Amino acid sequence: MRADAITSHRGGMWSWLFQRVTAVLLIVCLAIHLIFTHIVGIGEIDYETIGDRLAHAGFIAVDVILLAAGTFHALNGLRMVLMDYWFTSRRRARVLTAALWVVGLAALVYGIWALWPWIS
Amino acid sequence: MSKRPRETANVGAGLWKATGMWAWLLFRISGLILVFYLGAHIVVISTSQWSEAGKTLNDLMKSFDHPVLVLLDLALVVAVLYHALNGVRVILMDFGVGVKSHKVVYWICMAVVVILFAVFAYVAFSFIATGKGVM
Repeated sequence: MRADAITSHRGGMWSWLFQRVTAVLLIVCLAIHLIFTHIVGIGEIDYETIGDRLAHAGFIAVDVILLAAGTFHALNGLRMVLMDYWFTSRRRARVLTAALWVVGLAALVYGIWALWPWIS
Repeated sequence: MSKRPRETANVGAGLWKATGMWAWLLFRISGLILVFYLGAHIVVISTSQWSEAGKTLNDLMKSFDHPVLVLLDLALVVAVLYHALNGVRVILMDFGVGVKSHKVVYWICMAVVVILFAVFAYVAFSFIATGKGVM
């Protein structure tokens, strides 16, 4: 691995690493998600069929991974973009990071609540 | 080679010139689209809680079968596929794979995008034409 790829990443090493780990998780889980929702289940998605799908623990795992990894990847990516513009100083970047953690954790809780009728 | 040091020498020896610059810009734009879509998607799924037995969710899902929304969905698939395949290229480059041949790798990834898009487009247009899935 090229060490400069890590050190040159302004967001920090963990941000860089987790962006890649979540990217790989998203490629795998999103492939499953898109095949089942957009190819197999097109036009047939409703409260009942989502429930049938989520009766399998594997699909619950896929959806929860998509929610957690997707939220992290999305907000960390947004953070990278915003740090190129207004949040350029270390202090502003810290405020942004803290705010995005609050947003991300709220999205995670809200997302679990959204899935709750099927997975509880 | 000009004697003037390359201005972008610090970013992977001019990695973000020409093809790379557009790859980067589209990567960023598709990423931003997907961030906003994810937010909307979570809210849409949360309609499962908005009424008894998911009535709100079912009404919403019915409305998504409209051809315009199927086409918008297909546009979203483009954003997902582009972001995913260019992301694969970025990760490969982090591991030192295809740094010198990044343009070739980029166009191979774009070919994969086109092939996968063709599959989704076939399903979407079949659905618009017949109102049924292909499976």
